[in-house]
Amino acid sequence: MFCGEKKLLETERRVKANDREFNEKFQYANNRIHTSKYNVLTFLPINLFEQFQRVANAYFLFLLILQLIPEISSLSWFTTIVPLVLVLTITAVKDATDDFFRHKSDNQVNNRLSEVLINGRLQSEKWMNVKAGDIIKLENNQFVAADLLLLSSSEPHGLCYIETAELDGETNLKVRHALPVTSELGADISRLAEFDGVVTCEPPNNKLDKFTGDLAWKDNKYPLNNEKIILRGCVLRNSSWCFGMVIFAGPDTKLMQNSGRTKFKRTSIDRLMNTLVLWIFGFLVCMGIILAIGNSIWEHQVGDYFQAFLFRDEVVKNPIFSGFLTFWSYIIILNTVVPISLYVSVEVIRLGHSHFINWDRKMYYSKRETLAEARTTTLNEELGQIEYVFSDKTGTLTQNIMTFNKCSINGRTYGEIYDNLGRKIEINEKTKPVDFSFNPQADSKFQFYDHSLIESIKLGDPKVHEFFRLLALCHTVMPEEKNEGKLIYQVQSPDEGALVTAARNFGFIFKSRTPETITVEEMGKVVTYRLLAFLDFNNIRKRMSVIVQNPEGQIKLYCKGADTILFEKLHPSNEELMTLTSDHLSEFGGEGLRTLAIAYRDLNEEYFKEWFKLLEEASRGLDMRDERIAAAYEEIERDMMLLGATAIEDKLQDGVIETIASLSLANIKIWVLTGDKQETAMNIGYSCNMLTDDMNEVFVISGQTAAEVWEELKKAKQLLFERSTGFTNGYAFCEKLQELKLGSTVEETVTGDYALIINGHSLGYALEANLQNEFLEIACICKTVICCRVTPLQKAQVVELVKTHRKAVTLAIGDGANDISMIKSAHIGVGISGQEGMQAVLASDYSFAQFRYLQRLLLVHGRWSYFRMCKFLCYFFYKNFAFTLVHFWFGFFCGFSAQIALDTSYWTVINHVFIWGSIAVYFSILFTMHSDGIFDIFPNQFPFVGNARHSLTQKSTWLVILLTTVVSVMPVITFRFLKVDLYPTLSDQVRQLQRAQDKATPLKSHKRQPRRTSSRRSGYAFAHQEGYGELITSGKNMRVKNLPTSGLGKTMYNSTSWIENLCKKTTDTVNSFSPDRTVKL
Amino acid sequence: MKRNNCQGLPSRMPDNTAFQQQQLPACRPSLTARAVLPGFFATGVSFLGMGILLILSAKSVKEIEITYTDLCSNCSKLRENASNFYKECTCSIPFFIPEKMPGNVYMYYKLHNFYQNYRRYIISRNNRQLLGEDNTDVENCAPFQRASNDRPIAPCGAIANSMFNDTILLSYYPNSSTGINVPLLSSEITWWTDKHVKFQNPKSSNLSSAFAGTAKPPYWRKPVYQLDQENPENNGFLNNDFIVWMRVAALPTFKKLYRRIHRIQQFADGLPAGNYSLDISYNFPVTVFKGEKGVVLSTATWSGGKNFFLGVAYTATGAMTWLAAFSLMAVHLKLKKKKASFQC
Repeated sequence: MFCGEKKLLETERRVKANDREFNEKFQYANNRIHTSKYNVLTFLPINLFEQFQRVANAYFLFLLILQLIPEISSLSWFTTIVPLVLVLTITAVKDATDDFFRHKSDNQVNNRLSEVLINGRLQSEKWMNVKAGDIIKLENNQFVAADLLLLSSSEPHGLCYIETAELDGETNLKVRHALPVTSELGADISRLAEFDGVVTCEPPNNKLDKFTGDLAWKDNKYPLNNEKIILRGCVLRNSSWCFGMVIFAGPDTKLMQNSGRTKFKRTSIDRLMNTLVLWIFGFLVCMGIILAIGNSIWEHQVGDYFQAFLFRDEVVKNPIFSGFLTFWSYIIILNTVVPISLYVSVEVIRLGHSHFINWDRKMYYSKRETLAEARTTTLNEELGQIEYVFSDKTGTLTQNIMTFNKCSINGRTYGEIYDNLGRKIEINEKTKPVDFSFNPQADSKFQFYDHSLIESIKLGDPKVHEFFRLLALCHTVMPEEKNEGKLIYQVQSPDEGALVTAARNFGFIFKSRTPETITVEEMGKVVTYRLLAFLDFNNIRKRMSVIVQNPEGQIKLYCKGADTILFEKLHPSNEELMTLTSDHLSEFGGEGLRTLAIAYRDLNEEYFKEWFKLLEEASRGLDMRDERIAAAYEEIERDMMLLGATAIEDKLQDGVIETIASLSLANIKIWVLTGDKQETAMNIGYSCNMLTDDMNEVFVISGQTAAEVWEELKKAKQLLFERSTGFTNGYAFCEKLQELKLGSTVEETVTGDYALIINGHSLGYALEANLQNEFLEIACICKTVICCRVTPLQKAQVVELVKTHRKAVTLAIGDGANDISMIKSAHIGVGISGQEGMQAVLASDYSFAQFRYLQRLLLVHGRWSYFRMCKFLCYFFYKNFAFTLVHFWFGFFCGFSAQIALDTSYWTVINHVFIWGSIAVYFSILFTMHSDGIFDIFPNQFPFVGNARHSLTQKSTWLVILLTTVVSVMPVITFRFLKVDLYPTLSDQVRQLQRAQDKATPLKSHKRQPRRTSSRRSGYAFAHQEGYGELITSGKNMRVKNLPTSGLGKTMYNSTSWIENLCKKTTDTVNSFSPDRTVKL
Repeated sequence: MKRNNCQGLPSRMPDNTAFQQQQLPACRPSLTARAVLPGFFATGVSFLGMGILLILSAKSVKEIEITYTDLCSNCSKLRENASNFYKECTCSIPFFIPEKMPGNVYMYYKLHNFYQNYRRYIISRNNRQLLGEDNTDVENCAPFQRASNDRPIAPCGAIANSMFNDTILLSYYPNSSTGINVPLLSSEITWWTDKHVKFQNPKSSNLSSAFAGTAKPPYWRKPVYQLDQENPENNGFLNNDFIVWMRVAALPTFKKLYRRIHRIQQFADGLPAGNYSLDISYNFPVTVFKGEKGVVLSTATWSGGKNFFLGVAYTATGAMTWLAAFSLMAVHLKLKKKKASFQC
């Protein structure tokens, strides 16, 4: 679990602030990171050592040594050394450049500056010099240098906001807050410099959402948890500064602990090649032995007489010894069956294929000018063998953009456009969007196509106005006025951001808020509402409400939430509207949109006061407080009037649906591994057609304990078998049983589509040794697998599981730093490039800008690479055998003397050196070598002058060539013809059909309507945390200048308790999803 | 040409060439019956024709082979003992040519069981020396590098040393009493490249001085510059017999071109039928390595010598192709019927 053996000894970490001497005793790692493999001195020995670990290289080194022995050497030494050196150099150069770039990126990261408190002064220090125990200052939008304990921040109560996209892929802001004792230190440098607390905590580990430890300071001990820790890789947001104390630095940080080690990736062709080479080597040894025995016999029986013309060497007097030497000579001569150039040629072909990928215009994303890039050049043919694709969600399948797409107001849908005949028009880039220029505050990025909505607003339809008023009031968004009066919304859930932005564009601009008021500009008129109560969101309620009083004194409750929940709370008079809205919701859901129902309630003042008393009592009570508050909420959120529904699109990237469909057709299974919530993940599953209504069953596994998970898995399995046996009739069942007996796997007997959804917590158990087989079995039967709330490490573990137990070729695709470990552990890692973070791309083997290019990468480039590589290998082995066996046969005629029959010396040189050269190069060199000039210069090395000229002028030579060609080709053609004629493959049939169609008139292409027929209503999926309501009403997260000076404010709760509340609730949410409480990873 | 985008920067869009986009025209022949069957028939016809042609032409070649190891058994015995090295031994073998040998007639010597393709034998030569560049360069020539007096052997090496040194003369007997020597030519029996590129005499005013300081190969009777007493041009490394010998044979049984019949007088149309005799000065020992040697007289055609292999192979291939074509046609027709009934 821990990184490095040295660290295994570390059972507890003790860090003292501002005391480097104290901390040095423990020799904690400093903040320098190394991802590089070599340095200048170690490069040559380490790299050569690594290279000679390849069987082929070692073998050729051995050959080279053999060739240096004159008694054995049957070929001149340069025939081996040239290609060997070439291979070694090419590989070394490649390794060196790779490592150079790693050095460069390491350096860049290590040399980033951060402000460190040294000797009572803030100094700029490079990241690599930061040590555990240092206190550093972070500024807004800065990357965090190391894992820090938050001491104080610019925000009140030591709060600060961080974005953890690099770590878990979530883009919402998260809150961290300091201990009250340390937050008092503020920005007081002298007091911070005196701070000498000692943090005792767990040793470095890779659990992102867990931290346990305590801080001892001034004779007091304060417990620490994850809420007080800022991890390396996060970005500070919305907080102008904060101070933190370094606890884990460099390789000990959770980010680095989560990055899997780089593994040398090899393709299955590589492995096949190695096996083949071993077999061929065995074959070579056999040939050598046969020829050596032959030589001994020949020397004994014939060679003796031949001494008249050729005296024997002293060394080879003994026929047996001569045979022994001949064995080695033949090993050298026949080495071409195990050709070194095979490895070079394979690498060169792969390089060429990589260039085809880089050059592909169909994988070029013109909007961001991003090319597809094959970063690893050695894996191309593996692309054609992928069986499992593991995909991240955010940024990979989706664009991570939420757009307000459609809505239903008072029984009428908006957002779709129709032509004059009332037909629906597909919205595309040419469609004219609504012009929001009348509204100077409008967000230019927002686009809406239905003009009728804006007309309704302009006409002053009260329901429509109420609808957008609600959207502008009921949320947790924080406004921020940037320079030039531009309004920026700080959202902690993109859904809400989309809704508030929509309201803003339609003329209901949320301007500012204080704990008691919300200011909205309604159609140019500024209205300030009093915020009377904030009924916060949580996972059980699945809704949130605000109670506001408008300037006229009317009190209203505005509520938005999941339709299923909200519909139960409606006033009976809404029956008709509810059915209508429900239909609309189904329609929206069927299009994969995220829906929310929206309702309001008019309250009279007495009723509200009464209720408010009830609430205050409930919140003051000590026992059953939460339950009583919940009950109070229930009490007021009823008899509501339905306004309508919103539909937000979690925008998929272009072509995702089509890509997934065609990959499924190619029998590639796609698993989605995401850090998002289950609802969000399922939603995306539906919107990209991975989950459909036609599925026989969707298994959801969300057990909290090992036993529960086991139970759920067992149930799922039972169901799978019941279904499959239940569906088949008796005869088929018998057949199935027989198949089972014959040893076929379970998967083949299961019919129907299934899906499996598992959350991170349960996945933790499912990945344990006793359950993993069960899990894998079910998961592999299912057509779709979605894992949500998974940590980066779990992603890698899932990939690893499939990789090892299924022996399948896997591909992982992702865009964020949280996908790195998965990308690294899969056979092939693909990074989505062109986004902000580049880490995923740097760790990947291939990168491109859009998920849809995966289709072309796998189905075109992968397939072609594989085909070409296979053809090449077949040809290569054939060529070598043909060439080498000639020598084997010639051995029987030349007294097994290891004489070469053909001019191998030049043949091999040419073949090896110019393997990539064209035939033209080959022949021009060949003719040069055969020329008189070269013979004049090196008469001993090039003795074959005239051979080609004379043999090629012989008519019989050409006749023999013709004959052999026909004799070799004819059986192949016969075989192929019969195959195509008798047993045509699918592609043969397609080709035949194509030819037939070419002759006939071209068919009209059918335009496919990608209309989904899903009745599923997508769930309410707020991606945000509970507790923000309290933050807002308490006003603690607002800058002092924003706080109203008048003492109007009447906070709902005891003001000292809000932070504990938040604390408790946030940890609750985290704990309920994080696997680490009981799971041992 | 890279196009520029709106910012004026060169677009990173890859070039749209057929090669880069993998759209080069490609052709995959589809093996339809319409293409395959006529191809097979045509191949079969042409191969059968070619085979018959080759057999006929090989048949027209007249060839006579006389193995004289046993016919000159006394000489063979004599040569078995190395001490008789300088003793002359001649041997005359009468033979009869039943049919006229028309056109060019070639005379070969043929050796059996002589391993000219043995590796250590083949590498035992020095091309630089043979090129006349440096007489003293005897590298690789082991075990025949230097003579006992440490002089470099020219030409060095096992190949040169073992040169075939029988002289063979052919006499024609138009009647039983008088014999006419058949005029034989030793010119143009080598490869042009060998004679003009690979072999050169050392540059000097005369040959004997050119080879001064070298020793003759131990098995040779005369030094290299005295190989041909009659024609001074045909001496040194440029001796035709020597060049022919130096081009080693690939198989242990081989024949090498020895002489061409000079087509003059009554031999203008080739060798007439009748009585002949071979006068051999027997020098080359073959019995020591259980070998045999002989003389071959042969005419030649466009397709080479008397070799039926190619003709038979062509005929067989042609026949096989026809057979295959017929069976393919049968399979195809039968299947087509079945398929048609399927589709209906």
